[in-house]
Amino acid sequence: MAITVKEAVQHLGLEVRTGERNLEAVITGAQVSDLLSHVMATGKAGHFWITNQSHANIVAVAALARLSAVLVAAGFEPEEEAVIRAEEENIPLLTSAESAYTLAGRLYELGVR
Amino acid sequence: MDTPSPSHYEFPILGRAYFLGGRAATSIKRVLAEAGVEPDLAQRVCVACYEAEMNVVLHARSGYLAVDIFPDRVEVTVQDRGPGIADVEQAMTPGWSSASEEARSLGFGAGMGLPNIREQADEMRLESAPGEGASLHLVFYREAGNGRQA
Repeated sequence: MAITVKEAVQHLGLEVRTGERNLEAVITGAQVSDLLSHVMATGKAGHFWITNQSHANIVAVAALARLSAVLVAAGFEPEEEAVIRAEEENIPLLTSAESAYTLAGRLYELGVR
Repeated sequence: MDTPSPSHYEFPILGRAYFLGGRAATSIKRVLAEAGVEPDLAQRVCVACYEAEMNVVLHARSGYLAVDIFPDRVEVTVQDRGPGIADVEQAMTPGWSSASEEARSLGFGAGMGLPNIREQADEMRLESAPGEGASLHLVFYREAGNGRQA
C-alpha cells in the first residue's frame, strides 16, 4: 500500500521542519542509513530516508537522489544550514524523538516496503 | 577531439568545507534539467558528481567540477589540489577509505564514493600521483545502447 509523506507525518507524529509544499509525494520505499554514500548508491526516487545525521549534507543527498523526505530521528536537531538548504530545495525535513529503529518499524507497519 | 561543447559549466569546490559539500552537484542538477538532459541520466550524473565533489571536500584543499553537455553525451571533469592518490586501484576498492575520523563520524568515508562513481558512469578515468592532486574524467552517454548496457 502506497502512502504519502503527509500520511507518514500524521501516523508517526512527525514534526515538519521544511518542505510543507511537498508532503503529497508518494513514498516508494524507505531506508535507514547514516552512511551518505550508501544512500546515494541505493536510494531511489521517492524513498523515505531515516537517519541520525543532522548536517546539511543530508539535504544534498536527498535532493540529488530525489528522495521524498528525510527524517532525522532520535531527537537529533538538524543543523541550521541543513534547514536553510532544505527550504531552498523544498525537501521535506522531518524530525522525531523516536529512535530510527522504532520509526522504521512503524513505517513498515504502515505498508511501506 | 570534438569541437568545444556549447554548454560548458564550471563550479569551484572548497576543501574541508563539509557544510558546503553538495553545492556543486546541486547546481549541476539544475543545469542538466535546464539543458533538457533526461532525468534518469541526470540523476546518474548528479550522484557521480556528488561523490566526486565530496572526495575533493574530504581530501583536497580545493578543486573544481566541470560539466560539458553534448547532444549525445555528458562529460564531467573533476580536478583538485590535494595530496593525490598513491594507489588508484586500492582507492577503487569498495570499503577502502583514507577519510579522517571526523569525516567518518559525519557519515562520509564509507569507501563507497569511487565505486559509486564507477557504477554510474559509462566511462571513467582517474589519474593521480602523490602530491599532484587527482584528475577524474567521466562520460555518460545520452542514447540507450551507446556504451551502457541495459
